[in-house]
Amino acid sequence: MKKRMQTGWRLFWAQDWLAILAATALLVIGLSFIYSASWRGEDTGIVGAWFSKQIWWALLGAATATALAATDYKFWLRYGWWLYFASLALLALVFVPGIGKKVYGAYRWMVIFGVPVQPSEFAKVTTVLVLARVLSSPLIQRRSFGTVLLALGLMALPFGLILKEPDLGTAAVLVPTTVIMLFAAGAAFRYLFGLGMLGLGAVAAALSPLGRFMLGEYQRERILTFLDPSRDPLGSGWNALQSAIAVGSGGWSGKGFLNGTQNVLGFLPRTVAPTDFIFPVIAEETGFIGASALLLVFAFLLTCYLRTAWTAKDPAGSLLATGIAGLLFCHVFVNVGMTIGLLPITGLPLPFVSSGGSFMVSTLAGFGLVQSVHVRRMRREV
Amino acid sequence: MARDRFIPEIHVWRLLVAWLAMLACFGALSFRLWNLQVAQATEYQRRLAKQSLRSVRLPGLRGRILDRNGERLADNRPSYCVSLYLEELRQSGGIQRTVDNVMDSLYRLAETMDRPLQMTPKDVRLHLGRRTPLPLVAWRDLDETAVARFMERAADFPGVALTVEPVRVYPQGQTACHLLGYVGRADEKALPDVGDDDEPEKYHYYLPEMAGKSGVEKRLDGVLRANAGGKLEIQVDVAGFKFDEVSSRAPGKGSDVTLALDVRIQRAAEAVLAGERGAVVVIDPRNGDVLALASEPGFDPNDFVPAIPAKIWNGLLKDAARPLYNRATGGEYAPGSTFKPVTLLAALHSGQIAADTRFTCPGYFQLGSARFRCWQHWGHGSIDLQSAIRYSCNVYLFHAALECGPEAVQAMARSVGFGRETGISLDFERPGLVPDNAWKRQARRDGWRDGDTCNMAIGQGALLVTPIQMGLYVAALANGGTLWKPRLVERIDSANAVVNEIAAEPAPEGPQWVERHIRTIRAGMRDAVNEPDGSGKRAKLQDVVVAAKTGTAEYGVKGSGRKMTWMIAFAPFEDPRYAVALLVEDGVSGGTTAAPRVKQLLTQVFNEVEGRSLPLPPPLQAVPDPVPSAPAPEEEPA
Repeated sequence: MKKRMQTGWRLFWAQDWLAILAATALLVIGLSFIYSASWRGEDTGIVGAWFSKQIWWALLGAATATALAATDYKFWLRYGWWLYFASLALLALVFVPGIGKKVYGAYRWMVIFGVPVQPSEFAKVTTVLVLARVLSSPLIQRRSFGTVLLALGLMALPFGLILKEPDLGTAAVLVPTTVIMLFAAGAAFRYLFGLGMLGLGAVAAALSPLGRFMLGEYQRERILTFLDPSRDPLGSGWNALQSAIAVGSGGWSGKGFLNGTQNVLGFLPRTVAPTDFIFPVIAEETGFIGASALLLVFAFLLTCYLRTAWTAKDPAGSLLATGIAGLLFCHVFVNVGMTIGLLPITGLPLPFVSSGGSFMVSTLAGFGLVQSVHVRRMRREV
Repeated sequence: MARDRFIPEIHVWRLLVAWLAMLACFGALSFRLWNLQVAQATEYQRRLAKQSLRSVRLPGLRGRILDRNGERLADNRPSYCVSLYLEELRQSGGIQRTVDNVMDSLYRLAETMDRPLQMTPKDVRLHLGRRTPLPLVAWRDLDETAVARFMERAADFPGVALTVEPVRVYPQGQTACHLLGYVGRADEKALPDVGDDDEPEKYHYYLPEMAGKSGVEKRLDGVLRANAGGKLEIQVDVAGFKFDEVSSRAPGKGSDVTLALDVRIQRAAEAVLAGERGAVVVIDPRNGDVLALASEPGFDPNDFVPAIPAKIWNGLLKDAARPLYNRATGGEYAPGSTFKPVTLLAALHSGQIAADTRFTCPGYFQLGSARFRCWQHWGHGSIDLQSAIRYSCNVYLFHAALECGPEAVQAMARSVGFGRETGISLDFERPGLVPDNAWKRQARRDGWRDGDTCNMAIGQGALLVTPIQMGLYVAALANGGTLWKPRLVERIDSANAVVNEIAAEPAPEGPQWVERHIRTIRAGMRDAVNEPDGSGKRAKLQDVVVAAKTGTAEYGVKGSGRKMTWMIAFAPFEDPRYAVALLVEDGVSGGTTAAPRVKQLLTQVFNEVEGRSLPLPPPLQAVPDPVPSAPAPEEEPA
């Protein structure tokens, strides 16, 4: 009993406190600016449901993270296949009428006990889990082409289902994450290089007239308006344009907390300002200083994740941490990139910051898994 | 070596490469952020302002117009309006729902205030489409009862408020209407630019603003109108509704204009013309101040605020008496005998005759085959110059004019300001006409003849003058030879307390008179009033010596008997303070129509302005309709 207590305390102190600090900072920033994005002026007093909901989701996410950090990640790796197939089943269920919920023409949601849940968020984490398990298995040749094909095949199942919803952004995140994991696992360069070429070819094909068969019309339209936002300023180019105006008008030091106008006046639509377009809200109110500081915090957290991957006790733990880091990186890069006109609008939230329940829980679950790897890391002493 | 502390399956360098690649991507994001937020910040801030800021020009408070004693001639009064703030009444789900909600408020407001509904759903929709961030003014100029009814139940009407707009008012009603003019809705494109910076300010919206359309209101519009109207910046949301009012420049207040006019004299001047068509000009001979400038009939400038009803406007346009027309500055009339002092001064100045030169008047003057009659058919006998003025003898004038020649008379007429605009600060002025050889060749294709000289000598023929010219001319006779530029505006008090005093100034090219000549003329004019047989005896006052000259000018078709009746007068004789030129169209004669009116006017002026107690003359008699059988006082050349 006493020994178990001691183990508990050791686990506690072995946490990656810098990562916890960074994640907490991001959560606080997120909550503050969801407050700002849903704030409607002093006289109305309306903050909206976004803010209070987000607090509950953050608490739920923190509890999940704590539980996962306390559990040995090997337990989750062992049940990785089960979790993977379970999430595939959930992804398939959203298409079943009566279970899945159609929102804005997409089947992304299912309602469990009255709470809307996005199975794709959990599928991302379970895909990373199963890839970490497979790629670290002593049974496979890591440098072989077969391994690359296997990893791609494992990724392709959830990718296809998510793309079918359709949710291009979330699906697209899986590809670079898988590539990063393959790279870290030691895959041969020629395959990775070939993969990169294939990816470029796919993008080019999607944009060509042939792409009609591959992507939905609105997805094509989004990519095309990304290439030329003035193509349709009140249509799909609108958000990109208003987002750039919000970010650009923030200037060097921003307009101050609650002083941003783009979301309050509705130029940044109120439905997306606290979610996918939270970054322009932050950039408008805190300027270049605040926006780049936020990126620094993300970079710091990524560094923590990769340090965990470096110090991990076994390859599976290392790959798990790398995969979660890949997910985090893709989300941040795509989300920020799309709001500042570097990438097409894909509808991807910003981890730890954007409003969104399932996404918050899955982000913090990933964080908990990395912590679980970290506390059980290789020790220099002992 | 740390490497052996870690498991060999983890490729540290691969993690390092992945880490550096991720950081590089973040670096790209930062670079792009720098580009947007630092390099192009101004451009994006401009675009933000363009899409979310709307500027509104707020009309300034129009300056007042005061008379010389501070009496208000034009002022502003508050007009109470009920305005609907659409951003508070908007409904989600289609514009029609907002229109319905606004109409619902309007119906209930109409019922509460017991006022007819003035807006249709179409009006509301139009306002929602074009002037979304501005309040919808549903009722203007509400009376106290309606305002009280609204205020009682204001809490039941969210998004509705009582607002106040300034409205032009003319407290004196018709008095000085032609002089003051009137205001009308300003043309937005013609609004003066605000000189904040080099580029003129453009506004998204303009509120109803008044601009002077005639008279002083028009001529001094730039002074009366606040030079910089206010500017309100409205922050609008994506649907165009008002979110906030960002910054504003308070509308300025226009300058107050103080006129040289004395409203008491103006009222008296209009009173003596009541019911007639005519004009009165009263000038202070000491400085050229325009003390009164009346034209009858007139109109009520209050009818023009905020917009004149079509019925009244058409009535004014169709009225044969032309009430909108300012006879005092725009009416051109033959001066008749009031011109005689000009002829005599020209003759004296030329040296061809002297004050004691006598001519015999047998009642007519034979010029070749033409016979020019004196108005007194049996003649005046042998008379001197002073008596010629006293009796207004035509024959003496024919002799005098022919002695000095037409050029001398024309030059003298021009030197007293005839034939050119006086430069009074009003929008509508005519120059009149001093005919000469060149004019006659061009207009009549004929040379100048002695008959023309005779006609001009007695103020007939093609000679035309305006009442304002006559007022300044008689002022020059009164003060001994200074022709003033009329001073209508005494000073301009701008809102920031810079007072602009406008000094009296003599007109350029004024007359050069010899003192003993003008003394004789003045004596003749004194005799004309104060001697029992003078032509202007009906203008005689009890205690004040008045000097005057009457005039009766035939016009229109020969023998129609239509006459312009004049009197020019100044008083007191020794120290003239008032110079009057009075014209009545289609009067009987200067002595019977104009003289009693001048008497009435001067009596009121001395009683009311100077506190004298002169006996009031009997009430004025209306001028009978023109009778063609009345004997013509002057003959046309045969």
